[in-house]
Amino acid sequence: MILSLQGVTFTYQTRDAETKAVEDMTFSVEEGEFVGIVGPSGCGKTTVLNLLAGLEKPSDGEITLRGGPLSDYRGREYPIALMPQHDQLFEWRTIEKNVLLGPEIRRTKGESHVRRGRELLDKYGLKEFAGKHPSELSGGMRQRAALIRTLMTDPDVLLLDEPFSALDFQTRLKVCDDVHAIIKGEKKTAVLVSHDISESISLCDRIVVLSKRPAHVLEVITIDCDKRLSPLKRRESGSFSNYFEKIWRLLEDK
Amino acid sequence: MTEERKNYLKKRRKRRLLTATLQAGLLIAFLAIWELVAYLKWVDPFIVSSPSRIVKVVAKLYTQGALFSHLWATLYETILGFLISTIMGTLIAVLLWWSDLLKDVMEPYLITLNALPKIALGPLIIIWVGAGKAAIVTMAVLISVIITVISMLTGFLSVDREKVMLLRSMHATKGQIFAKLIFPANLPTLLSVLKINVGLSWVGTIMGEYLVSREGIGYLIVYGSQVFQLDLVMASTVLLSLLAALMYALVALFEKLVRKKFG
Repeated sequence: MILSLQGVTFTYQTRDAETKAVEDMTFSVEEGEFVGIVGPSGCGKTTVLNLLAGLEKPSDGEITLRGGPLSDYRGREYPIALMPQHDQLFEWRTIEKNVLLGPEIRRTKGESHVRRGRELLDKYGLKEFAGKHPSELSGGMRQRAALIRTLMTDPDVLLLDEPFSALDFQTRLKVCDDVHAIIKGEKKTAVLVSHDISESISLCDRIVVLSKRPAHVLEVITIDCDKRLSPLKRRESGSFSNYFEKIWRLLEDK
Repeated sequence: MTEERKNYLKKRRKRRLLTATLQAGLLIAFLAIWELVAYLKWVDPFIVSSPSRIVKVVAKLYTQGALFSHLWATLYETILGFLISTIMGTLIAVLLWWSDLLKDVMEPYLITLNALPKIALGPLIIIWVGAGKAAIVTMAVLISVIITVISMLTGFLSVDREKVMLLRSMHATKGQIFAKLIFPANLPTLLSVLKINVGLSWVGTIMGEYLVSREGIGYLIVYGSQVFQLDLVMASTVLLSLLAALMYALVALFEKLVRKKFG
């Protein structure tokens, strides 16, 4: 068990009201696992993201990483890296410089990072684009670059915030496959926060289904299928629609 | 190169040549008609002056050794006003971006100062900083600094929130967020502010010179009108427009270089 939430509650204050976004949320993520978090829109997924990214602290309960409290990790040691909704590559930087943003912010950037960055860009088909600016890349290539940027600080857990929502459907399926292959290839643990049920089923080993606000865990569903299949192939497998139906009903009922 | 491409390029060249010819032709025709109107005394040349009289006035200023000192006085004040207001305005915007509290506190003052016609402060400025160059530069600064603050701050605050969140998730410091994201993302804003400020600094400087000056182009215009030497007024106006256009062209060139360098 690498990451675990125990009875996590989060309340936020605005001028008009006090809102409980997350209530008594408990689930865990195993090492090397790909876990999806789905829920109805406005259920507090963003809050879960902020909590895991370390931008907010739980009002109650605890988040632990490798057994220790997550709040103990600060600054350059922070072990969870975020891949945002849109790639958010900086237009004024080359792809290589974009990829090196993490180490640069942590002030640890050195030769080894530069080498590692080139290595990953080579490995995932962006070799010729290292010196180019983001606008010269296709949507799919940009996502791959954004994922490599996330890998550069060698995080324990990758946090994916609906990373495909800005892509057209064709590209989306392809990028889904790419991202899955890269994350599995690098043996990373990933948490995907999404409202797209099929995407979550196609990518994840387990799915945490959240209720309406205040969000709590309705059910954790293990996606039982051949792990070697790519997300696209998984969509074609027989049990896919069963899982879809199950999650759909869960979200509808509550 | 294909035949089609050749034809296209030829057509383009022709079009550009036509534009340039018409531009030059328009100027020459305007000057010729002006000269003619004055020469034939259709309108009293004392009132409208004429191109040849303007050339004479400029030549006279030059032989008196006064031409460049007047030009330089105004140019110096304008450049100084331009630099001070741009730098000061940007720095204030950075402070306001840095502190939400400061921003909220200053908001009504900024709005009021922005709405106020700065020329109304002229008499006060003279009393406070004296009737000299300082008053003129202050005028030039006042007229463009508030709009600089507002434009830069708006730019800083409109940077994609998700990009800020990405950096925060990397646990970047506020200084890093500014240096790596907010400032580079607003380079285009800064460039457009530079262009606006060039124009505003000229307005401020000439206005300042109307009020207090003993030299400069604004002074020549006021002096000329008071002694009814409209030749001098016209000549100064022509010099002013040439200088202003030149300075704008320089800033535009600078913009082009920066854009090229930073994509």
